[in-house]
Amino acid sequence: MATTATPLQARNIKKRFGTHEVLKGLSLEAHQGDVITLIGASGSGKSTFLRCMNLLEQPDEGELIVHDEPIHFRDTKHGREPMDWKQVERIRAKLSMVFQNFNLWAHMTLLENVIEAPVHVLGKPKKQAIDEARSLLDRVGLLDRADYYPTQMSGGQQQRGAIARALAMDPEVMLFDEPTSALDPELVGDVLKVMRGLADEGRTMILVTHEIAFARDVSSQVIYLHQGVIEESGAPAQVLDDPRSERLRQFLAPKH
Amino acid sequence: MINLQGYGPRLLEGAWVTFELAVLSLIVAVILGLLTASAKLSRNRLVHGIGTLYTTLIRGVPDLVLMMLLFYGGQIGINMLTDQLYEAFDIDIFINVNAFIAGVVTIGLIFGAYMGETFRGAFQSVEEGQMEAARAYGMSDWLAFRRIRFPLMMRHALPGIGNNWMVLLKTTALVSIIGLTDMVRVAAEATKATHEPFLFMVPVAMTYLLIATLSEWIFSRLAKRYNAGFGETH
Amino acid sequence: MEALTTWWTELLGGNAIFTANTLEFYWNGLTTTIQLVFLSLLIGILLAVPLAIGRGSKHPWIRMPIYAYTYVFRGTPLLIQLYLVYYGVVFFEGIQESMFWPIFREAFYPALMAFTLNTAAYTTEIFRGAIKNTAKGEIEAARAYGMSKPLMLRRIVLPSAFRRALPAYGNEVIFMLHASAVASVVTIMDLTGAAYYVYARFYAPFQAFIFVALIYLCLTFSVMFVFRRLERRLLAHLRPREG
Repeated sequence: MATTATPLQARNIKKRFGTHEVLKGLSLEAHQGDVITLIGASGSGKSTFLRCMNLLEQPDEGELIVHDEPIHFRDTKHGREPMDWKQVERIRAKLSMVFQNFNLWAHMTLLENVIEAPVHVLGKPKKQAIDEARSLLDRVGLLDRADYYPTQMSGGQQQRGAIARALAMDPEVMLFDEPTSALDPELVGDVLKVMRGLADEGRTMILVTHEIAFARDVSSQVIYLHQGVIEESGAPAQVLDDPRSERLRQFLAPKH
Repeated sequence: MINLQGYGPRLLEGAWVTFELAVLSLIVAVILGLLTASAKLSRNRLVHGIGTLYTTLIRGVPDLVLMMLLFYGGQIGINMLTDQLYEAFDIDIFINVNAFIAGVVTIGLIFGAYMGETFRGAFQSVEEGQMEAARAYGMSDWLAFRRIRFPLMMRHALPGIGNNWMVLLKTTALVSIIGLTDMVRVAAEATKATHEPFLFMVPVAMTYLLIATLSEWIFSRLAKRYNAGFGETH
Repeated sequence: MEALTTWWTELLGGNAIFTANTLEFYWNGLTTTIQLVFLSLLIGILLAVPLAIGRGSKHPWIRMPIYAYTYVFRGTPLLIQLYLVYYGVVFFEGIQESMFWPIFREAFYPALMAFTLNTAAYTTEIFRGAIKNTAKGEIEAARAYGMSKPLMLRRIVLPSAFRRALPAYGNEVIFMLHASAVASVVTIMDLTGAAYYVYARFYAPFQAFIFVALIYLCLTFSVMFVFRRLERRLLAHLRPREG
């Protein structure tokens, strides 16, 4: 896969669940170093859109292009499917996802979680993977938790561990699906701090979040979704501080 | 009824023996199970100890060994007892251990231990507040047990009872070994005489499957009934 | 060896039933029982893993036959399965002329086959349940990190399912140990067979069966002990950290 300045493009993505159309033709272009934030009320389709990008959901229409490589689809009786699952697996390994509920593998220690995909998907030597994992755990402040199992850690620690797991893939793009929504308020700060560090070092990131202040701070682009349509999009200063639509204004208004 | 080389009617009788044996054992097991559960929940240490010993011993030894011990040992035990009676009081009686009763007692005794565990868990899952409310409305202990604790407990106990019943049903096949003429015994005798194992064993196996399938249906119906008021019915 | 035998005989001198001779019967019965149970569990588990995976297949022609197999073998008594294999094995075309006949002529192997088919059916359903209960999020994470289906099965789904299946599988091992007692009805001298022999020879049901019950009890407790140790090690991830 050639490296280009545009690691991920999504064009005209549509998705239906039954008869309900949740994504009505969404496009997005992530350039190297972009931090793109998707905001919107629940049910606006922002998580589904993110999950279409690494094909955890299969879009019914539209194109996905990772660098210059388009993903090929074919129509089956179960709906549209990628033509070549090997290609999808290869591409997913480049787009690390961080989940709302962390989804660390429960039967593995934190360190084992971090080295799992580098060793078994990327084929890295185990020793090298462990060294890298240790320095990543150090970076997210969890080196002393390397031998803990996920259930033995707090939510905030699990999420920082999950970010280390994502970083271990040395991803082209990081996808964050509401990474702080399942956390107790006092644990949110540590996770956001780690994410801010990633944005500052120029990682390409696409994130779905409810943390508007954080989005204003780190994003290069903010996209506001409403009922499966991009209602507003642009620089954070423009979208968040000077919203054009009444709906976005209401969405951003302080909740009582 | 299919003739099955003349064994058809006997197989049918055997099937009835299997069914009777299973149902009677189940009744014994449920009564013993309720007693055991109360014993294990008792604060009296001796009673609690007896309950624990019973369930541990029964669950650590194969059904067949227990059955042989009770059946073959039971006859000798009773003979010894009647001999004593004769010597001491000149009363001369002879009691022959009936294989059917031995079967019911053994299987009931074995599954009483398993039922005990099921009921214990179920009793413990009934919130004390429910019983408190019953007492607050002036219910007697027995009335509160019958009207409140028992139906609430059944919701938790039913899946366990269902499982135990399925295992019990299959365990009845063992009585054929100690000489009771259930359908397995008839089929085994017929097989030995005619060398046609499939002709006899397959219908017997299908009868077990049929009873199991029917039971499953009945238990799912019962589960629905006892689940009323607890949201999801499955 | 001779000295040992004399020692034994002297030790048991005051006892008419538990002579060195009958104890040898029990000992041989013990080894037979352990061989039967161990081998059937081992082969059973090897069969159960692919069957449990196939049981969840989206293709009905893979899923349904496996379901039918487990339904029949779990729904009928082991004794009947044993009779069917033991008496039915001669009906397989040509088996009496084949190289396998010396094996199947002995009661041990038909019994092993029946036990294996039985435990494989139960184990398949135990594993199936554990596989089905794999956390959806963990599977999603595996997919999101580019794992292929076989890799995901090998690294994520099966390791965590095996751990979760451990308590239920421990029960299955004890169940098989106890169920193996029916081997004695097809002339196998297992533990129960030995006990029956001693009972019949001395007409001493209490001694014969209580002694064997104690041996089974010891075996059961050993199995429980081993599984408790295994659970402590392999289910560490479900417990809060000590200290």
